[in-house]
Amino acid sequence: MSHILQSDVVRYACTCGSLKPLSRIYFCRHCLKIRCGYCVSHEVDSHYCANCLENLPSAEARLKKQRCASCFDCPSCLHTLSTKASTVVVPSSDEKTVTRKLYYLACGFCRWTSRDIGYPDQTVASGGWPEKENPHASRIYNLLEHFKTLALREKQEREKKKKFIPRRNIYHLSGLSAAMARKRAGLPSIGPSSLKDDVGGPAELIPSAATEEVEQLPEEIFTDTLNLLKVTTLKQRLAQPEFQPQTVDELYPAHKCLLIKRSQRCRSCEHNVSKPEYNPGSIKFKIQLSAHYHVPEIRIVTCEPLRAGEKSEMIIKICNPTQYQSSLQFSPLPSPEEEAEELSKEIEERKQKVDRKDEKTNREDVLLLLPSICRQVSITEDPRPVNVALTGDISLPPVTLVLPPRDDAAEYDDSGDTHNFQDDPKIVVWRKANKAAMKLVITPEEDISEGRDVIVGFVMHYTYINTMATQLLEQREPQKVNLKVKLYITVGKVVGK
Amino acid sequence: MASKDSVKIAPGAMVCNECELRGDITIGSMTVIHPRASIIAEAGPIIIGENNLIEEQSVIINRIPKGEQPTSTPVLIIGANNVFEVDCHSEAMKIGDNNILESKSFVGREVELTNGCIVGAGCKLTCPEVVPENTVIFGQQCTRRQQMDKPPPQTLQLDFLTRVLPNYHHLKKPFVKGKQ
Repeated sequence: MSHILQSDVVRYACTCGSLKPLSRIYFCRHCLKIRCGYCVSHEVDSHYCANCLENLPSAEARLKKQRCASCFDCPSCLHTLSTKASTVVVPSSDEKTVTRKLYYLACGFCRWTSRDIGYPDQTVASGGWPEKENPHASRIYNLLEHFKTLALREKQEREKKKKFIPRRNIYHLSGLSAAMARKRAGLPSIGPSSLKDDVGGPAELIPSAATEEVEQLPEEIFTDTLNLLKVTTLKQRLAQPEFQPQTVDELYPAHKCLLIKRSQRCRSCEHNVSKPEYNPGSIKFKIQLSAHYHVPEIRIVTCEPLRAGEKSEMIIKICNPTQYQSSLQFSPLPSPEEEAEELSKEIEERKQKVDRKDEKTNREDVLLLLPSICRQVSITEDPRPVNVALTGDISLPPVTLVLPPRDDAAEYDDSGDTHNFQDDPKIVVWRKANKAAMKLVITPEEDISEGRDVIVGFVMHYTYINTMATQLLEQREPQKVNLKVKLYITVGKVVGK
Repeated sequence: MASKDSVKIAPGAMVCNECELRGDITIGSMTVIHPRASIIAEAGPIIIGENNLIEEQSVIINRIPKGEQPTSTPVLIIGANNVFEVDCHSEAMKIGDNNILESKSFVGREVELTNGCIVGAGCKLTCPEVVPENTVIFGQQCTRRQQMDKPPPQTLQLDFLTRVLPNYHHLKKPFVKGKQ
């Protein structure tokens, strides 16, 4: 794909106001809006190890500190370690020699081995490698426990508030609640509820204290010459934050960090725009609403040398990726006032949506209490105006360009295009299947200095056939909608006269 | 120049016909030189020890230093059990034993490799220095570390090659005393 090479040449404006190349944006088929990585909510689908491709449920992953149990990283260069076998001749009792296989860890890149730090070789390939205990493990455990009890207590207090406010009046009227009376008298409550209430005070925890006295540097540090081969680098040290080894003989292999499979969800309609397959070995997606499949793609074919204040011709290629015919029109970018108005409209629309959602959630309060349905509440952010200084003017032809649908077989069809479009040959240079090349005239600004980038922008209006709505609203006909997207093209650098 | 060309190949060495040997070169026994490897002794003789493995596209040059008139003939000496991987380039005048020059590595003329050194893939050594024993140089930044042991000799690979290479390649005749 050419986008890898010229990623920042043609940029599309996302609904949130960021500019991204087409391959990096999504198109939500439910809201019919462009979304990007900044304005979708990211969710962890599964944890897996990139080396052994083992899949771990998230609870287990958390228990193992998000690290793989069987794979290791090289402490020296941070690549993955591999298990190497060596045969050793072991003298046995009855004067026979027995060859045994012994395994050790080795890095194929920097040639670090577990023998370097004196790890004994293992008789089984799967390891049983000695684990180093974190020197601060007990302190961290204590802190964790402390904050867990605090969190539990806070939660209970919150629930208590919720529970008692509506009931209070009833008890007051009846005047029968002994528990209430006890409470009002300031006595500890008894009965089954006391078990739950009393989580025990936060465990006795000695708070860390700052000290003025810092251990002095050893004398040798000023006198001995430093052997750089013995000292660890900053990178090596920070790769193991719990030990932070200072010399290379303390470098112990670290368990490999897990990676995640991530799904992305549109924040306004809560539909997925990207969802990978669960299997860690698979690189396919269940849902991938990349804009590349829905929004017409624009690429620069050629452009004449750009000179300040002078006209030059640019040819762009437009490609319709959808299964339906699409007609395109071009218009200049809206003025700042119009844009502000558009933005406020967008914000308003979003607010209404949120209100509606709130009503819904109020009614489904009970449902939301179930953890399986509870989902991370997506926080929507207001869109921002695109902040790009245009350094050129583009003249847009007032034509409607009709692009036929994508046909994968067209490439192998020699019969030529049967479509009969009435194109102005001065504007549409050529056509082939679902692609067309168009000529545009660019005028860089008068006072632009040599070597600066010429950036032009315009709005592309395109018709999109919404196949999603037919399923939802039970309409027979696919709905035709008019959509638009703002485009910013970095044409090239200005050359001298 | 042709009269100066004298290649001495010890018995047991495998030197393929398609490799480029120029100048006064001595090759020790059990050394394997793949086709398309170049060994060029333009400034003085090159002496290669035993059990070395010199792979395709690797270059070993005894180069005449620029703008200098050598007072004596410099001799390039390579020890035993060294591996020159594909497309490495060595101008070092002295290489000890058990060294590995990985693919696309470069070792300059002023560098001396002692024993058990590994020059990683793509690493370049150009400054004058004596690389201490068992040094590993790796990565983009040419990071260094010191190993406990020297890398194991490639005995298995050499045995395999001495068995297989004659089946598919023409070899240069080893030099035998008394005959010439």
